[in-house]
Amino acid sequence: MADSAQLALVHAEIDGELDDRQRAELARCLLADPAFRAKRDELRRLCGRLDSMKQVDPPTELLDGVLASLPQSKAPGGRFRMPVGSWRYAAMLAGVLITGTIVFRLTDGQGTVATEMAGTLAGSRAPHSIDLAEISRGAVAGKASLTQQGSGLALALQLTAGAPVDVSVASGKQSLAIKGLSVGHTVTALTGFERTGQPVNLTFMAGGREVGRASLE
Amino acid sequence: MVLVNEEDDGALVQRSIHGDRAAFGQLVVRYQKPVYNAALKLLRDAEEARDVAQTTFLNVFEHLADYDPSFKFYSWIYRIAINESLNALGKRRPYEAVSGEEPDGAPGPDREAEGAQIRGVIEDALMSITPELRAVVVLRHVMQLSYQDMAETLSLPEKTVKSRLYSARQLLRDILAQEGAI
Repeated sequence: MADSAQLALVHAEIDGELDDRQRAELARCLLADPAFRAKRDELRRLCGRLDSMKQVDPPTELLDGVLASLPQSKAPGGRFRMPVGSWRYAAMLAGVLITGTIVFRLTDGQGTVATEMAGTLAGSRAPHSIDLAEISRGAVAGKASLTQQGSGLALALQLTAGAPVDVSVASGKQSLAIKGLSVGHTVTALTGFERTGQPVNLTFMAGGREVGRASLE
Repeated sequence: MVLVNEEDDGALVQRSIHGDRAAFGQLVVRYQKPVYNAALKLLRDAEEARDVAQTTFLNVFEHLADYDPSFKFYSWIYRIAINESLNALGKRRPYEAVSGEEPDGAPGPDREAEGAQIRGVIEDALMSITPELRAVVVLRHVMQLSYQDMAETLSLPEKTVKSRLYSARQLLRDILAQEGAI
């Protein structure tokens, strides 16, 4: 009958944790006791079954959920904490806001109500902010703001960066490159860009690699 | 088994500590599969496992500055994942049944037919032992950790880890033998 010390040798053998002395001891026990050999075979079959529990791919939304839940403007160690599962509610809220924005834009300029609303928020010809995004990716940080100036669009950037940053601006078929930004506030007219409902995507590059992204609606 | 370069982990941790969110994103990409699978095997509930995995990474991010680089990074992150899973199990009401549904690893139809029943029996058996014993089985047979890494992950002496693993296997052997699965 196998004792617990002998069984421990079998477990260690299966787990690849035997040293030479233990291996010799196990071999001696196996030779001497057929019942022990049967026990070892059974344990090996069991562990083979357990090893067959394969890992599955995590759901794709896990990564997005984690990144979306990180605090926006703090390095690790801050106290911000989003409760478990709350990314789902955040996604629902975002959906409601986007839907609301789309509905508003569909009516913007086409109906009396929307025109009056815009007029009350700001003068119809005065520059006003359309969307604002915070950028905090380490190498570049700051704010990007999309503004309406007359009939055109402009991009205001307030950046802090350790090295000169190039910004690629794209929306639909329109694109624009802003070179060599470092710190401070800049405003660039987005010639040819129009409010079509498509996002204005910003890609920040430094030293030949992407260091940040932002999207303005 | 997750093959990692410890220096790379350390560099990513340092960049994350200094506010580089992309670096932390790389850590999440690297460890989301083992963390999710550890939670899944312990909880046997895909949605709960996803929530636990997310909480694990948020905890990791929040406490990155506390990480002791003399330990392996994956041991640290797995410890958080195991603890979060055990906490989630503790919050379950006593009568609450597990769903018994896991996302499949997409095997072919033949393997699906061949292995589904055995997989179900093994998973049932695993859920019938205590969470503490289940954790060592998961770390050894799913995560493929060594005794030393398991001990580091669970903050237990190696002797205790081995004792738990052997006990868990003995219990599983009895259950699976009754079911004719070994």
